[in-house]
Amino acid sequence: MRRVWLLALRDLRLEVRDRAGVLSVLAFFGVMLFVMALALGPEEAPLRRAAPGVLWVALAFMSTLLATRAFALEVEENTLDDLLLTPGGKEWVYLGKLLFQLLLLLPLSALALLLSAGLFYLPLARAPALLLTLALGVLGYASVATFYAGLLARLRGREVLLPLLLFSLVVPVVLASVRATVGLAEGLPLEEVAPWWQLLLVFDLVYITASALLFPLVLEG
Amino acid sequence: MLKTQTPSRPDALTWVFLGLGLLLLPLGLYLALAAPPDVNQGYLVRIMYLHVPTAWVGYLAFFVTFLYSLLYLFRQDPRHDRVALASAEIGLVFMGLALVTGMLWARPTWGVYWTWEPRLTTTAILFAVYLGYFLLRGAIEDPELRRKAAAAVGVLGFLNVPISYMSVKWWRSLHQTQSIDLTTGRIHMDPAMLQALLFNLLVFTLLYLGFTRFRAMVAALEEAKEEA
Amino acid sequence: MLLRLEAVSKRFGQDWVFRDLSLSLKRGEVVALLGPNGSGKTTLLRLMAGLLKPTRGRVVRQGRALFLPNPPAFHRRLTAREHLLFDLGFHGVAGDWEAALTRFALPPDLPLAAFSSGMKKRLALARLLLLRPDLWLLDEPETALDQEGRKLLLEVLEEARRDAGVVLATHDRALAEAVADRAVGLGAA
Repeated sequence: MRRVWLLALRDLRLEVRDRAGVLSVLAFFGVMLFVMALALGPEEAPLRRAAPGVLWVALAFMSTLLATRAFALEVEENTLDDLLLTPGGKEWVYLGKLLFQLLLLLPLSALALLLSAGLFYLPLARAPALLLTLALGVLGYASVATFYAGLLARLRGREVLLPLLLFSLVVPVVLASVRATVGLAEGLPLEEVAPWWQLLLVFDLVYITASALLFPLVLEG
Repeated sequence: MLKTQTPSRPDALTWVFLGLGLLLLPLGLYLALAAPPDVNQGYLVRIMYLHVPTAWVGYLAFFVTFLYSLLYLFRQDPRHDRVALASAEIGLVFMGLALVTGMLWARPTWGVYWTWEPRLTTTAILFAVYLGYFLLRGAIEDPELRRKAAAAVGVLGFLNVPISYMSVKWWRSLHQTQSIDLTTGRIHMDPAMLQALLFNLLVFTLLYLGFTRFRAMVAALEEAKEEA
Repeated sequence: MLLRLEAVSKRFGQDWVFRDLSLSLKRGEVVALLGPNGSGKTTLLRLMAGLLKPTRGRVVRQGRALFLPNPPAFHRRLTAREHLLFDLGFHGVAGDWEAALTRFALPPDLPLAAFSSGMKKRLALARLLLLRPDLWLLDEPETALDQEGRKLLLEVLEEARRDAGVVLATHDRALAEAVADRAVGLGAA
């Protein structure tokens, strides 16, 4: 467990010292929202209607970019072997990389939420519930993205393969998150949004468990 | 029933499955065309005798891929990977057929080729997952890594079926009620229609077994050639 | 017995890197792998570490193995101190990183991007000494080291053989003769 935190903190430190990486991911996200807003606007009603969908598709792209980076850190420096030669099971490598991404993704996606509130008139009145949706949905994306990024780490052409493999698997996350966000924006009572949270929670638990168990089997020589 | 040794030609069991399947296929077709028309749908119902068995084989095949992928990950025996590959390939073909027959049925019934109906959507998602499975296999040169990566997709992809299904079901609903409700065991169908459907299910399952064994053998030959 | 290779063969695509190689290593032994470029020394070391699987044959290993690639692999944006601290944490080992850095004459707070290749090699040796593996797998450890560094390398190897086994791939026959109990020659394919 300590190793998981250590790996997440080390990667975070590397990422912060690099800066260019995170900034370009955020800039990509901003430009994407901006172009989508131009394409769908300028009237308020269609923008408001499209906001949850645009937000979650953009977040899916953001998480594939970050997941690729999480392992590119190791592949570029040739240090993946060092992690694989540590004693004991390698589940912690997956969990550490996942934690690293969450630590980056959560603040970034909160920023993304603000951006879509500004550009798409997404109402932020129920911020705590929105943040919960954000956390559960982003965790769902990251759980699968981290696993596939590790699997594809040494492959050329991973930038195209990763979204392809990821997007078909995370359809339930997209549907549930978008629905929950729509529900919150339209002011539905929380009891009607809660089933979507449950679905997200089930997805997160299933995929984190399965990925952590499969990761060592797939990565070891 | 699926694991083959590594012979250079199909063994007896493969021929039995293939032969029986192909032999009985016309009979199944006859039963389907001789079955009475449906009260509501009329003659249109006959596409069901093709649609349900192809979809069944698709799901069965992906389930087999899931099982053999797990086996491969734990045992690292290339034979398991070959069965997983063969089954996924046959599954993809039958799943494609199921999607097409579903669309052909949807057009006169609902007036559109495509609706976002739960089972249809889940099937389409699954189709995309296994398309990714083959693109991934094509992208990896190292045979060991290729097998492992494919096995991981085979496992994670199938885990997605129930979750996808639930999410799409809540998201939106409209479909023909299931002909055979597995949860309650109730059957809403004329005996003659049921007989024809079950017969076709049997025929398609035999064909699936035969094709998969055959494909696994071809995969073994390919690997032997790659290694030589 | 620390390491045993039983009729190990490895192939990439169509080409065999080596075939039917057998070898065993006890604690306290140093084995040198000799051979021209492309003869499979690095591949063999990675096989011994468990980072690669043999196409045929079996690799039996006891204890922890660590592999030192050439050139050594580090995260450029960390300092030497940070790198060693994280490595100790990942391996769950306690060690005196400060003494190690002083001994190898390395600045603790300089990002590794500013290190020369000789300094990186020294840091790699310091790292191995701190992590104390049972099996040391070194790929051309002598390259990029100056006179002083070479002396350190010889010292480190003497310390390593006290309670561990060492396999080193090298082009340096003088080094092999000075430290190795045995040499294994790999021919070009």
